[in-house]
Amino acid sequence: MSYIHIDTVRKTYEAQMVLKDIDFKIEEGEFLTMLGPSGCGKSTLLRAIAGLIPIDSGSIIVGGRNITHLSPKERQVGMVFQSYALFPNMSVFENIAFGLKMEKMTKRDYTPLVEEMIALIDLRGKENQYPAQLSGGQQQRVALARALVKRPKVLLLDEPLSALDAKIRRHLRHQIRDIQRKLKMTTIFVTHDQEEALTISDRIVVMNNGVMEQQGTPAEIYTAPATEFVAKFIGSYNVWRKEELSKSQLAQMPSGELYAVRPESIRIVPAEEEDGLFDATWMRLGEGRVERSMILGNVMRYFIRVQAMQVIVDRLHDQDTRRVGEGTNVRLFLPVEDCRVLNALA
Amino acid sequence: MRRSSQPVARRKEAGPTIIIAVLLLYLFLPIVATLLFSIAKDWQSSILPTSYTLSWYGHIFSDPRFLFAVLRTLLVGVLTVSLGLAVMVPVIFVLAVYFPKWEKLLQISVLLPFAFPPVVAAIGLIKLYSGGPVPLTGTIWILIAVYFILIQPFIYQSVRSSLRTIHAQDLMEAAEVLGSGKVNAFLRIILPNIWSGTLVACLLSFSMVFGEFVMGRMLVGGEFETVQQYLYNAMKVSGPSASAVVVTYFLFIFLISGIVLKLGRRKPGGYLAHPKPGGEDQ
Repeated sequence: MSYIHIDTVRKTYEAQMVLKDIDFKIEEGEFLTMLGPSGCGKSTLLRAIAGLIPIDSGSIIVGGRNITHLSPKERQVGMVFQSYALFPNMSVFENIAFGLKMEKMTKRDYTPLVEEMIALIDLRGKENQYPAQLSGGQQQRVALARALVKRPKVLLLDEPLSALDAKIRRHLRHQIRDIQRKLKMTTIFVTHDQEEALTISDRIVVMNNGVMEQQGTPAEIYTAPATEFVAKFIGSYNVWRKEELSKSQLAQMPSGELYAVRPESIRIVPAEEEDGLFDATWMRLGEGRVERSMILGNVMRYFIRVQAMQVIVDRLHDQDTRRVGEGTNVRLFLPVEDCRVLNALA
Repeated sequence: MRRSSQPVARRKEAGPTIIIAVLLLYLFLPIVATLLFSIAKDWQSSILPTSYTLSWYGHIFSDPRFLFAVLRTLLVGVLTVSLGLAVMVPVIFVLAVYFPKWEKLLQISVLLPFAFPPVVAAIGLIKLYSGGPVPLTGTIWILIAVYFILIQPFIYQSVRSSLRTIHAQDLMEAAEVLGSGKVNAFLRIILPNIWSGTLVACLLSFSMVFGEFVMGRMLVGGEFETVQQYLYNAMKVSGPSASAVVVTYFLFIFLISGIVLKLGRRKPGGYLAHPKPGGEDQ
């Protein structure tokens, strides 16, 4: 039996359904990410799990206990807010101790627990500082410690890294993951950042328009998107409709209405060069012209026009890519197994 | 080049200084003149008095009517401001955080005291409260009730501005998830963080009540003499005596302002209003 069961949860705001019968399960100690664009309902679901908003129907089960109608303080959940929501009038120590004080613990009892958390988030020496005296990253760590100190049954993280700059984000997401593994804490993380979701999660639930589009491990989500939305949201997938493809291209592809191809799985060869390396496991997408190219750090991204079709190709930025620039005529090859057929209804 | 640019710079610096000097002169000249008049023994045909005396101050401070007027005004002020804060601060908070759509109504309501001229409002109130099961006209209670309405705008503006500087909803939700009730979260987290705004509201409201004359005169009259009514009566007796009352009144307001502002600055060590940008995260 799963540790958490989000059981056909529905929520409506002013006649608009923002959660449409969401249903998934989470195992104990698992790190699950709810990924989706702004307004897709992921934060609403997180807040419903925390008890901050009521749901219209369905139920939320945590550790075999139905918490659907319990108040936030009865749910034994910890939450980190996007704004951190640290109490400005309290020091780091007082912020972390707040939840324990609410449980009527004495100072003698809660002090070692708070000190242990301060050590865990590596903020020793900052106990008496106030939130306004800390940097964004430090505030985020205090918010995490405050949520963890009560050892909740589930930790909820509502886009906790979105207000930080890229370098600190990367550092902190590894730190969050390390702490979560160390404490074996069941965690639900909400983000709109695909890279963040792919690097931090055991499993990802992709949401769009209040609907769960797909769930799976990061590798499954990335390599086998089920819908057009997931394919486009999770990476810069090439999504082609059947009618966009020529007869010769269609003849090589599996039958379907909608196809998704990862940009890095396509190979390009300058038109004047030999292409003898590509055997029957590769399909020939035809010849095209590089309309635009851009450097994405260690990767070169090409936008190639092949008849009516726009093809995005990512190649490792090495010596080979230097032979291909804007205006170059190229031939495109794709491994047959890397052509995904998508759910046409999406 | 250098020589010619220096006078221009000096002229630029002199401009604001002159404006500030003129403004200060405009603001303080009447107070200084009133102070001089209250301590002048002989002031006939010279710019400044030719001799000085504190006898008018001795006179008013030995007058039990003045001391009672001060006490009555203090009583009305403390009761009104306490009632105003106790009612308005939670109402502003609840509307701003939980029912933002209804806040517009409160905004309109707090503007009403500015819309009605005091004399019109007073006549209406006399008509309404002079009869009925509990006649309030002529008692301290009608004064408190009316001043409660009049101080609403000051409380609303100060407290609402303070609330805008914090993520009140997130703070409340964080406290609730951590096991706190709503009332406890409001008292322990929200109130300390809007403390400065609440103190400003307190100061403005108290000053307003202390200086109000029309409502007091019309609703309660001589039955409940406040400082402003004492001043009105003193003006009929002698100019220097009235000036001594005015100066005492100003000193009292300055004293209260000083105390309130000092309390407002009393914050936990290192507690800053704005978060520190960037940081040492690695």
